[in-house]
Amino acid sequence: MPHALQAEFATVLRDPALPLPTSVISHTSRTPQKRFAVYRNNVMVGLIGALESRFPATRRIVGDEFFAAAARVFASTQPPRSPLMMTYGDEFPDFLASFEPAAEIAYLADVAGLEAARTRAYHAADAAPLEPAAFSQIDADRLADLCIVLHPSVEIIRSQFPIVVIWAMNAGDMELGPVADWRGDDALVARPALDVEVRRLPPGAAAFLQSLSADAPLGTAAESAAASDPAFDLAVNLAALFSAGLAISATHRP
Amino acid sequence: MTTKITKTEIGAAALAGALATALTLVSATASAQTMGGDKAGKEKCYGVSLKGENDCAAGAGTSCAGSSKVDYDGSIWKYVPKGTCETIKTPQGTGSLKPVKS
Repeated sequence: MPHALQAEFATVLRDPALPLPTSVISHTSRTPQKRFAVYRNNVMVGLIGALESRFPATRRIVGDEFFAAAARVFASTQPPRSPLMMTYGDEFPDFLASFEPAAEIAYLADVAGLEAARTRAYHAADAAPLEPAAFSQIDADRLADLCIVLHPSVEIIRSQFPIVVIWAMNAGDMELGPVADWRGDDALVARPALDVEVRRLPPGAAAFLQSLSADAPLGTAAESAAASDPAFDLAVNLAALFSAGLAISATHRP
Repeated sequence: MTTKITKTEIGAAALAGALATALTLVSATASAQTMGGDKAGKEKCYGVSLKGENDCAAGAGTSCAGSSKVDYDGSIWKYVPKGTCETIKTPQGTGSLKPVKS
């Protein structure tokens, strides 16, 4: 398809109010409008369906009807840029954050952000986590200079809402109920092996992991974590790093 | 001699101590689990992915349901979100979802 035609076709596809592209003809019907409408609807239904399967907890929070309507607005303004439907909706959390009808549910965008991260973690590259034994070989005097590479699937979502519990309740992992501890969560999403895991991070861990993923050596990362939260406990964080399989390599800087 | 005011400096001994503690913690958890050989025996299996984790639903885009021209005007936004949000109770009030507003 020539480029201009393609652009026109794509525009009309997203807006039912626009007239049919002149190039769209039918050999067997004098009214291709109806057929085009079917096609247009299928495209929209497909995109909404992709968002529904990527954001099940978000959908459950607002209800099917609201979700479908919100997804329709998103899909008509932000069509996919890639044919890989599993990546569609990376911008959906941001969209929800500024989506006025959802403003009442302050935590919605962050829960959607967690769900988006889960899909990305699922499709992230595989990498074998480092065995804890590897760390016992390291020269203790040079620990501060140790550079730890995190697993490619690792993502951190910081929220001022208890999104891990809210997500778990709406993803069917936990029963719905009162949230006793209404505090912000730093959520960790990772897929060290086959399953995507979601955890709540201990104090300072978000700063610690973000620092490590920005290539800071262990000493610097620990210091910035302690500065960000006095309750930061390095031993607990290292133990979590090993047991959750978050580190894939640890080397000294040359 | 001037007193150096450092932020939160963590010495080499503290780092080594933390690592030793961490390794002890991990080995304690590992031996508490049953050998952990289970996960290592798994392999990636294609074509059986769970809903929401697969490469889009094959059937979704092929539906002809409601093929009429859809005309959502502003009225749709009279919907109030409904779902499970009101089931989650926050300390700030039952059923209300305007939390963290002190």
